[in-house]
Amino acid sequence: MATIQTADKAGTWVGIGRETLVKWAPLLVLIVLCGFFAAIEPRFLSTRNFARILIAASPALMVATGVTFVIIMGSIDLSMEGTVSVCAVSFAFCFLWLGGTLASWAWLALPFAMLVGAALGFVNGLIHVKLKIPSFMASLAMGFVGTGLAMVMTGGDRIRIEDELFRSLLTERVLGFPLMVYVAGVFLLIAWFIQTRTTLGRNFYAVGGGEDLAIASGLNVSRVRVLGYTVAGVFFAVGALLAVGRIGIAETATGNDFMFLSVTAVVVGGTALWGGIGGVWNTLVGVLIVFVIGNGMVVIGLPGYVQDGVLGILVILAVILSTDRKSISFVK
Amino acid sequence: MSIENLKPYFPWITLAVLVLLVGALNPSFLNPASLVQLVADIVPLFIMALGMTFAIYIGGIDLSMQQVANLVTVVATVYLVQYGIFVAFLCIGAGFVIGAASGWITTRQFVPSFVATLAMGFIALSGARFLSGERALSMNADARDASFGWMFGNTVGIPHELVIAGLLLALAWFLQSRTTFGRALKAVGSGELAAVASGLKVDQIKILAFALSGTFAAIAGLMFSVKLSGGDANLANGFLILAIVAVLVGGTPLTGGVGGVINTLVGTLIVVVIRSAMVYLEVDATMQQMIFGVILIVAIAMTIDRSKMRIVK
Repeated sequence: MATIQTADKAGTWVGIGRETLVKWAPLLVLIVLCGFFAAIEPRFLSTRNFARILIAASPALMVATGVTFVIIMGSIDLSMEGTVSVCAVSFAFCFLWLGGTLASWAWLALPFAMLVGAALGFVNGLIHVKLKIPSFMASLAMGFVGTGLAMVMTGGDRIRIEDELFRSLLTERVLGFPLMVYVAGVFLLIAWFIQTRTTLGRNFYAVGGGEDLAIASGLNVSRVRVLGYTVAGVFFAVGALLAVGRIGIAETATGNDFMFLSVTAVVVGGTALWGGIGGVWNTLVGVLIVFVIGNGMVVIGLPGYVQDGVLGILVILAVILSTDRKSISFVK
Repeated sequence: MSIENLKPYFPWITLAVLVLLVGALNPSFLNPASLVQLVADIVPLFIMALGMTFAIYIGGIDLSMQQVANLVTVVATVYLVQYGIFVAFLCIGAGFVIGAASGWITTRQFVPSFVATLAMGFIALSGARFLSGERALSMNADARDASFGWMFGNTVGIPHELVIAGLLLALAWFLQSRTTFGRALKAVGSGELAAVASGLKVDQIKILAFALSGTFAAIAGLMFSVKLSGGDANLANGFLILAIVAVLVGGTPLTGGVGGVINTLVGTLIVVVIRSAMVYLEVDATMQQMIFGVILIVAIAMTIDRSKMRIVK
């Protein structure tokens, strides 16, 4: 009897705050995780460790932010590994060709890389929309093209970027955190601005929430889709720049591992794969959850072979906790 | 015959065009013996793609297959001496259980299969790394030949791998087309809500579909392990994306309900012809990945049947 009563109580409590609870669930998961790791190993909470987490997370955050827009539309973009590699390599070539230091005209390599990202995203979107190929497949194939292109450009070599001014992204610290963390923060704000304060951003939700309705309301859905992929491409490029800034090397492998990582982070943050729900703040929380888990397991000293499995279990738990079970009837 | 009637055959036509094209450019590609060898070499990939078909057919995806195969290579290598040929049951059981767990997480816990299977893959990877002690293991050669030597023999010029692939294809085709379960799969893939409304036990069907994909991944892993005579937590890496590509190029869309295992056969062959054609036509190694991507876009643009897709996501 007692158990039934508690269940009822919990039921009402959840009933009142259900929406709020689901909305904040990813953040709660993040806080609980931090608390858990901190309880086992207090050093987890040090500024140095947080800086480490944020340095590792910054490039992935940018990539995940880019793909968030596409996922909000109910599509998916799996081209990030290729796009990141091409952007990183294009940046490196352009940067070295123009002088090899940010103090010269070589700073133009930064916007150039973002243009390359935009162009790749644009082509990706066009292939998806004009050839009517499902985005999963179109973007996956574009990812192959990207990785291949980076391979052709470099011939398999690594390109070192040793300019101190560019590397200050990592080496220069303000309040204990390197510059790249702030750069990622600025671009996150830009993404938030696009999402909430621009027509394009609202249109992403319109397309994801119900494409039939969006078309019926006179929205040019094809255009919104192509633009969505283009914006995503720009964010992939920013991710590439931060990745190069972090390790000082541009190569074909720069884009490796971003694909599953970023999509997982987006979903863990509470953005639904079927579109219309979520946003860039969810993605921030999702990326942090994934990287806090990764870092925390190292800090508390779990053996390497356990870490993958624990990550898997925690990712599943995080998604379960942040899913509103009452509002969906099935998932694919 | 109109274009509409030809649509189901687009994947076959694409395959024929590709083979003839490559054959015209380099006739040695059409040498029967080398073609048979070419096809025999991709049997593990084909088996994995067969399993993937079940997951995609119901509108899901199984990203754990590669890690399940990895785990199985390790399990097979470690326990071969102890259990002999019965290690196969252990391997297949492991694949079935992991697949079923993915299915349970997807259907009962509402975690999208993209994430659920990816995460289950991580768990399988942990198992593989733990069991292998993070080393590349090699099989006991005597035990391998005694238990699984038959897998790689030849009968009247036909490699046994092809026979195994053929049997598995027949089994998968039978399940898909000649059983209630197969019809239920199609119903779930075409419209899950309608399937629920018609009284199908959709959850069970989906869990079983994922269990099947896990089982096929395990068989692929076992063959791979025997073929390379070893086990390693990274042995099967690179197969996952190719298996997905093979299914999709064959004409089974991610939305499910259309296509099937025969399509996957064609899709796998298309992927293999493209890959090996680049070797035959002496395409520069650095260019191969890029060209593969471009041809893939062309191939899928040609093969997919858009008439049943109202909205392309």
